[in-house]
Amino acid sequence: MTDATATPDAAPAPHRKKGGSLLELDARTRKRNAAEARFKAYGVIAITIGLLFLVALLFAIIRNGIPAFTQTFLTMEIVLDEETVEAAEGSIVATSQYRNMVAEALQVKLADVGIETDKEPRDLMLMLSPGVGAEVRRVVQESPELIGETVEFRFLTASRVDGYTKGRVQREDLARDRNLDATHLDIVDELMDQGVVERTFNLAFITGSDASESRPEEAGIGVSMLGSLFMMIVVLVCALPVGVAASIYLEEFAPKNRLTDFIEVNISNLAAVPSIVFGILGLAVFIQFAHLPQSAPLVGGLTLALMTLPTIVISTRASLKAVPPSIRDAALGVGASKMQAVFHHVLPLAAPGILTGTIIGLAQALGETAPLLLIGMVGFIASNYPDGLASGFLDPNSAMPAQIYEWAKRADPAYYERAWGGIIILLAFLMTMNIIAIILRRRFERRW
Amino acid sequence: MPVLWILAIVLVVALVGFVLGRQRALSSGQGDIRNLHSLPSYYGYNAALFGLVPAVLVLAVWTVVQPLVVQNSVIDLIPESAVEDAGNLSLVMSDVRRVADGLDVAVAEGAMSAEMAASLRTDFTDVRTRLGNVGVALGSDVTQDTLRVAQRYRELTASGNVLKTIVVLGLSLGLTGLALLRTSAQFRARNVVEQGVLLLLLAAACIAILTTLGIVLSLIFNTIEFFQLYRWTDFFFGTTWSPSFGGGSELGIIPLLWGTLYISLIALLVAVPIGLFSAVYLSEYASPRFRSIAKPLLEVLAGIPTIVYGLFALLTVGPLLVSVFGDNGTLGLGWMQGGTAVMTAGLVMGIMLIPFVSSLSDDIINAVPQAMRDGSLGLGATHSETVRQVILPAALPGIVGAILLAASRAIGETMIVVLGAGAAARLDLNPFEAMTTVTAKIVSQLTGDTDFTSPEALVAFALGMTLFVITLGLNVFALYIVRKYREQYE
Amino acid sequence: MDDLRLVERDVDTQDIKIAARKVQVFYGDTHAIRDVDVDILDKTVTAFIGPSGCGKSTFLRCLNRMNDTIDVARVEGDIHLDGEDIYDAKVDPVQLRAKVGMVFQKPNPFPKSIYDNVAYGPKIHGLAKNKAELDEIVETALRRAALWDEAKDRLDEPGTGLSGGQQQRLCIARAVATEPEVLLMDEPCSALDPIATAQVEELIDELRQNYAVVIVTHSMQQAARVSQKTAFFHLGYLVEYDETGKIFTNPEDSRTESYISGKIG
Repeated sequence: MTDATATPDAAPAPHRKKGGSLLELDARTRKRNAAEARFKAYGVIAITIGLLFLVALLFAIIRNGIPAFTQTFLTMEIVLDEETVEAAEGSIVATSQYRNMVAEALQVKLADVGIETDKEPRDLMLMLSPGVGAEVRRVVQESPELIGETVEFRFLTASRVDGYTKGRVQREDLARDRNLDATHLDIVDELMDQGVVERTFNLAFITGSDASESRPEEAGIGVSMLGSLFMMIVVLVCALPVGVAASIYLEEFAPKNRLTDFIEVNISNLAAVPSIVFGILGLAVFIQFAHLPQSAPLVGGLTLALMTLPTIVISTRASLKAVPPSIRDAALGVGASKMQAVFHHVLPLAAPGILTGTIIGLAQALGETAPLLLIGMVGFIASNYPDGLASGFLDPNSAMPAQIYEWAKRADPAYYERAWGGIIILLAFLMTMNIIAIILRRRFERRW
Repeated sequence: MPVLWILAIVLVVALVGFVLGRQRALSSGQGDIRNLHSLPSYYGYNAALFGLVPAVLVLAVWTVVQPLVVQNSVIDLIPESAVEDAGNLSLVMSDVRRVADGLDVAVAEGAMSAEMAASLRTDFTDVRTRLGNVGVALGSDVTQDTLRVAQRYRELTASGNVLKTIVVLGLSLGLTGLALLRTSAQFRARNVVEQGVLLLLLAAACIAILTTLGIVLSLIFNTIEFFQLYRWTDFFFGTTWSPSFGGGSELGIIPLLWGTLYISLIALLVAVPIGLFSAVYLSEYASPRFRSIAKPLLEVLAGIPTIVYGLFALLTVGPLLVSVFGDNGTLGLGWMQGGTAVMTAGLVMGIMLIPFVSSLSDDIINAVPQAMRDGSLGLGATHSETVRQVILPAALPGIVGAILLAASRAIGETMIVVLGAGAAARLDLNPFEAMTTVTAKIVSQLTGDTDFTSPEALVAFALGMTLFVITLGLNVFALYIVRKYREQYE
Repeated sequence: MDDLRLVERDVDTQDIKIAARKVQVFYGDTHAIRDVDVDILDKTVTAFIGPSGCGKSTFLRCLNRMNDTIDVARVEGDIHLDGEDIYDAKVDPVQLRAKVGMVFQKPNPFPKSIYDNVAYGPKIHGLAKNKAELDEIVETALRRAALWDEAKDRLDEPGTGLSGGQQQRLCIARAVATEPEVLLMDEPCSALDPIATAQVEELIDELRQNYAVVIVTHSMQQAARVSQKTAFFHLGYLVEYDETGKIFTNPEDSRTESYISGKIG
């Protein structure tokens, strides 16, 4: 045990007997262990960064999206005076007459609660959503028996006021604003104290329809949710049977020949084709060639079905492959045909796996946006619920991710908030689907 | 008769065929199923399949082909002058179709009688206003030529529909009858049904081929049409991208490709080190417990839809980067003007790709046989030396394949770049500038009402074709490498 | 028993290289090795024999702490190398394994060139100052593994391209190149054909000049051919440990006799 052996650099090279006590770390080992620790640290750092990204993403979604689920309302009473109502209905622009009604009532309301202001009624109306006139009219038309009564309304406030109560709009921001000014906000503050203006849960965001660019406070994601639902029905009905049939053929019956190889190559390549290319396919085949209606969930569903097909085929084949050959042999051994063995024994045993794969494929399709942009499921206002099944499939509609994209493109921060909120809903759906898939897998997973 | 009705009738025929086939077989076997070759339901399926499949097939093909045939036969009726006026035959044809559809609507709503629609003349009726009244808006006045062609179009379509109904229903009934005739105790129904089912399964498998074919054809035809309007050399070698729908566009792909590659490069610079080190740690060092938590959590990143990443880029990462690198940023560098930039999109895309790289690499590292690790550890190598000098070199081809697959993902990614990268096509080196990509431009050229005739719209197909070829090439190459690698250890 | 060519070989030395006392190994809840005491002599080939699953490989892997790489494995008892406890907390298994090299059941050359395979150990342990020295180490190791003549013209070709017997000799060269003091071999010939086996066995006998060699084998004939000392393991116990000649001709324990005569195992 000399110094020479402890420091490798001084080692006299080959045939050197490595002495040295095991109980002492030589310098080289110490260096190597440090490298080991560093290397391990890189791994920990990499995973930490990855997880931090995930946390940052979820944090951004939740922090920005939660406010979309609440909305600021102003509660006030309006006397539905018969004369005024008739006059309004008689006029060409009925809703603007109703607006005036609301404006006057608002002035009264402010006076009632003891807020003094020298603002004109018209100016005060800037605090409310532009849609209040239409809402009063809707109430009057739906229940004419209310005419002559004093009715309590919960009006949506304007998106700026809503933004102010949520902290999205600061007083400084209003300096450049043509409409709202600081005195409006003073009134809002006072009304908040009085309980006339309050921020509560907003169901209309989940169930409602999209609104025009200037009225973010009215916009909801409900209609596009239906659009997504109809698309998913199409995807399920088209992709599942075809995918399962194709998998059964390839896994159980396909002879080893060029056609089979070619199909296999096609499937594995389709799985990696960018989704936008499926959008081009949908546009060219379903709209340009087959003249199916643009923006229809049917077309969107068909396009997404083609996109999901490889996913379903790949997972179905994996589940079929997991069923041990002994099951097939057993069935064939009692005289079943190959087809009977597959449909009576293999397929039922593979069903949970197929289902899991299908749910995951559907989840993928539900979140896909790019192809929908090309077949026109954006760019218009999804304001109407479909009338029935046929119109659900054939009438123009949007889909959740497309609606989110649409909102993200509108330059109003109030719409950004709704886009984040929409993402929370979308992710909630995806999470549910994935959890169902995981539960199915845990529950029915069989180890042979 | 509408297609849905025909389909419903065919289904009913098949159902009846099933019941009859089953009964007939049973009665032919004197009610004892032991006298039959196959189980009775197979005779039913036999009849049902015969009644259903060929008829539905013919129906589908007919429905797709008929408009093409009709269109081809009316094209001769269109005078040269009309084509010259409109500038393009397909424009005239779309006019014709719109008028024909309008007449259909008018007849359906009762605004016109069927005879009237067939004998309308522009000299006597203002077709545009009449159709406008029933809610069919036409872009221009209807010329007598167009109207005449539209009427002919309707005639042909109508008679085609009648013929289709007769043929399909006849086929369904006839084949059901034939199947029933053949039904007897000795008939090998099961074998026939199984052959039929096998054919159906094969057909389903061929959908994959059809899809690929559909993609290729829809890209090729439109791309060819584009290159007839725009020189291909200008497209592939042009360094300016400035489409204007008024004409005089410059549609060079180079700046778009540059943006695509630049963003993908940054994404890979983020994703590859993080993904690779994560994979090494998870597969070589992590305890099973840690692995079972961290791996699914990382994979959550892969399950998040790209629109979410797009929004994250646009609204969170972009402003954040500006606040650091922007004009008044904390670093005071003034490199970044707006939130949308190559860096923004690349960074976020990198996050998205982390689980993609890490899971693939994880699989590949796990495929390296344990014997390699034992051999190295047995020689006194530390774990990290084993990983760096034995496992990673052994896994290298597989990892390269994984990175190529990730690159192909990055190149084809759309939503993140649409929202995060900006819209300006630029050839620039500054990663804090806004640039745009092939996918983003496909979206912007094809969104909205597209008429498929201007080069500005058709260029999207040429872009799509380029994208398809690049990603396909990368994938085929990557899968080839990965497969070679797997074979090495099997 | 006729084919057991018992070569009378003298045990050259009585220096104890490795001393194991009361060694226990647990795999999770399974008690795989029970109370094994054994002294392994320097410059001697020691064979571990026994039916499969008897724990002979497990015990071998204790000697250079390869069991550390298996999460569920736990080792108790004392194992001393030259009087130093190798399971002492201060011992770095990396340093230990440099002294106690190992050759595995299946040839496992790295997917590198022949040269790099052999140079791998010397490189990580820093045994060569420069390329010339490294070349010399590689050549010596290949010569000792009797592979030099076959491999000298193809040092740059991948090690995986060699035949099975050559691969195993390459692995031996790889282990020898780090200048270990003890060489552990876990059924080194089980994946080889008879000719390659003969070559490797011959090699093992030569390696005895420089190292203590411990070989696990399932073949009694092989143990008889190459070893001077033999240990018989059964169900996790070390049943008998003695001169090879004695074990095969005059075993003391009835279980050993049953195994030797083919009644159990």
